[in-house]
Amino acid sequence: MENVIQLENFYFAYKRSDLVLRDIDLNIKKGSFTVIAGPSGAGKTTLCKAMTGIVPYYMGGRYSGDVKVLGESTKGKKVSDIAMRVGFIMEDYESQLVSLTAGEEVAFSLLNHGFAPAEVAERTRKALEDVGLPGRESYQLDELSGGQRQRLLLASVLAVHPEIIVLDEPVSAMDPDGAISLYKLVYDIHRRYGTTIVVVEHRTDYLLPYATDMIVLKEGAVVAADKFELAAPAMYADEVLRPLLPSLWQVKLGLEERFGVKLGDWRNEKDALADLKAQGFERRAD
Amino acid sequence: MDDKQKNIPQLIEIEPMQDGYRWVAITAMLLAIGIILHTVSPNVGGVTPNWTIAMYSIVINLTNPKLSQAIGIGFIAGLTLVPSSKSAFPLGNIASELTGATVCCVLVKAMLSVGLENWKLRPFVTGLMATMASGGVFTFILKIVLNLPLSVWIYAMLPVVATVGVLNGLITYLMYAPVRKLFYVQEDKD
Repeated sequence: MENVIQLENFYFAYKRSDLVLRDIDLNIKKGSFTVIAGPSGAGKTTLCKAMTGIVPYYMGGRYSGDVKVLGESTKGKKVSDIAMRVGFIMEDYESQLVSLTAGEEVAFSLLNHGFAPAEVAERTRKALEDVGLPGRESYQLDELSGGQRQRLLLASVLAVHPEIIVLDEPVSAMDPDGAISLYKLVYDIHRRYGTTIVVVEHRTDYLLPYATDMIVLKEGAVVAADKFELAAPAMYADEVLRPLLPSLWQVKLGLEERFGVKLGDWRNEKDALADLKAQGFERRAD
Repeated sequence: MDDKQKNIPQLIEIEPMQDGYRWVAITAMLLAIGIILHTVSPNVGGVTPNWTIAMYSIVINLTNPKLSQAIGIGFIAGLTLVPSSKSAFPLGNIASELTGATVCCVLVKAMLSVGLENWKLRPFVTGLMATMASGGVFTFILKIVLNLPLSVWIYAMLPVVATVGVLNGLITYLMYAPVRKLFYVQEDKD
């Protein structure tokens, strides 16, 4: 499968910090839904910034190796140009909102890149519709709830038709219902447009139904970068990383370890119950 | 040797591209804050801190602009002071702030070149000296415009300039760290 992002022996340190990323060698496959997991300070956010060209060239620092996005090195590229192909939603998403109304917000990057007014209007309308905010072009940002503002930001990313969307802990300030709803929307976009999705998330339970691949980071280095079902056991083997696995997979891998059985690829409770029943695990009232 | 330190290749140091525009944004924001504070600050015993000078001193300490950029900062700072100036010669602000920003920039560059990058008193000293230079030029222009005796300038005006200079130095010193944290928060953390 074609790789849309490649990091080759990439090392990075901010100007006044120790190494934040060490010898990162990984590929993001086209059309994948990749989860980046790891404890705080593992380098997840910096890895996202590297994938969007913000690190090292925009922020500065010390680096070695190369990052290629859609086959081209990010070296010498403007972040605004990379943003036309790789959308980025930061953890502090409010800091990315720059306009007064929802319509202006979605149109901002399109107008900056010289799109014709008619196309801007059409793309704005479609993007707002895609995120469940149809007809809200004239809404002031303070008329939208936190969740709606996050959807608006997703719309402004979608409007430029990026091939990749990188999201850095997008639901960290949301309640569980809001988080589930946002990830459903992201998955819907992924499925409808074939957009490659990269998400940093420490509550991986939310992403279990959707994740195709997983990158596990610890202390700036890659512990595992593979298909989700292959990376999860590597995460389980490390006691520090184990609690970051989806709860269902902690149970599954625990059962496999304890009883020496091979269980299926659980993506939700229904899968788990069916598989346990098939394997002869019975529910006990006590 | 620690395993993590082994086989780390030679790292390439790279200056941030963002600084191409960041200094403009920081200057605009701080000068705007300076104008507001300049407008609302009360006059205590004939002395008012010159917030505008303190703000551009912070900007110059933070961004270490080129001399031409510092002259631009000084010019804009001077222009912002002209409309609200109550002095006998408002346009004198342009000459005085051009001087203040230039002195501040030269001092910052000199300190950085001798390794005083992390000297805690750098904002105080540069804020004080910028104010002294700016105030000295401004009051000297006033002396000429109003045809005042030299002794009035030396014994009445310069002591006030020095007092304001110390005040501004303190403001620059106290505000430098929080402002730096605000604008450069992303640099040192993951």
